[in-house]
Amino acid sequence: MKLIIKDIIGPRCITQEDGQKIYEKIHNPLLKGESIILNFEGVRQFASPFFNFAIGQLLKDIKTETLRSLLSFDHLTPAGKMVVERVIENASVYHTDIDYKKIVDSILEEQEKESK
Amino acid sequence: MINNVYYGIFGVLADFSLQKVPNRQNLKFTEGYDIEDSEQLRQYQREEILPPRQSIPWRIIIMVKVISIPRLNDSPADFEKLFAIWSQVNDYFEDVQFDFSQCDFLRSNAVVFFGGLSRLIESRYGTVTFEWDTLKNEKVRSYLCQNSFVEIINQVNIPFLKLLNSSTCIPYREDKIQDMNAIMDYLTDDWLGRCWIQVNQALKDAISGYVWEIYANAFEHAGSAIGVFSCGQYFPKKNALILSVIDFGQGIVANVRNFLSADPRAEHLTAAGCLRWAFKKGSTTRLGISRGMGLKLLKEFICLNQGKLEVYSNEGYALINKDGEHFENRSSSFEGTIFHITLRCDEKIYKLAYEEPPF
Repeated sequence: MKLIIKDIIGPRCITQEDGQKIYEKIHNPLLKGESIILNFEGVRQFASPFFNFAIGQLLKDIKTETLRSLLSFDHLTPAGKMVVERVIENASVYHTDIDYKKIVDSILEEQEKESK
Repeated sequence: MINNVYYGIFGVLADFSLQKVPNRQNLKFTEGYDIEDSEQLRQYQREEILPPRQSIPWRIIIMVKVISIPRLNDSPADFEKLFAIWSQVNDYFEDVQFDFSQCDFLRSNAVVFFGGLSRLIESRYGTVTFEWDTLKNEKVRSYLCQNSFVEIINQVNIPFLKLLNSSTCIPYREDKIQDMNAIMDYLTDDWLGRCWIQVNQALKDAISGYVWEIYANAFEHAGSAIGVFSCGQYFPKKNALILSVIDFGQGIVANVRNFLSADPRAEHLTAAGCLRWAFKKGSTTRLGISRGMGLKLLKEFICLNQGKLEVYSNEGYALINKDGEHFENRSSSFEGTIFHITLRCDEKIYKLAYEEPPF
């Protein structure tokens, strides 16, 4: 399957709502093992909310390696590549079971360092 | 600042329940304003704070708080002055007048602050008056006219005061809802597109994408019912391009503390600690979908290109520049977040931290 992103979203891929539209088109085919090309020709502007929802969200039930083997990008600008790379890196280590205690521990630890 | 604030009594209403005087109607007051015709009165009647006028005659007293706007640059001390003004009006739900007679200098941070604050007061059924007659300083007057502040605040069309091409102003704008295209056009054309930064279109697009993260955060996390306010300016001598963006939502620090409130220690987290966490990769106060890259990406871009990003949120302050990042606790607080970005207009320094393609 090949999706022309500009036709679906327009030249700006920056909002989570637009990211969700892409996610809904590609999630099931990817689960079924279908290869997908996202063509970004004509898309100029990118931001992380779009990729969080379009791509990062896929990693909830698809392994990173599987995603990399099935999903490819065409005509993605260097700026877009950088954002999507960061999003994938972030999503692959993200756990929905957030450990609040660990976060508070880490902030308190930084606070302590600073006060010394 | 307290000395700059005084109260005026103009005849009509403070506490409806206490001030009623039978058989007396005193509804016309100050500068031709007629409360009978006001949306504020109708709103009070709809909410049954006031009964319908036919049933009880009212003597109404309006108290007006007059705030003198001082000289306002964009140093931390100037932001403190703004927050002191916020604290003066935050618990005040009636009428506020802003007086410009002491003001001989304003920057975009002050413009967005007063624009947003006026909408905040109005959202609480207060009224706001900018006393334009007290605005004697020609530079400030010209700045507020050319950046459309006067026009937008007064909700009138003043064609001869439209932004001049030769002006160094970047228009004031208000976004009550997330209008993606309008905001991105503003960043791409009005802020970056005026030939002050000689960068190619691809880089302009990338910068706009980073700055969009501020708006996305504000609309998603801040919970500001009145939206987001923006303004900027170009400073030729400093060769610097500034953008100020404010929301009067709950603030980043409060948001982080709320998110972590399951842990009783969270209430002891400092504002600096909460801001530091918010700027780390992957830090998000939303569950379900991985996020938290926006501020990190913006921070990296600012560091890489020798710009400056200052964030004031609740009682926290963050400074990001080429020397790194610095977070501190402030003694004063305000409910909301201001992002104040300074870009250097030197095309030689601009670059992006491109990485290898992921696929």
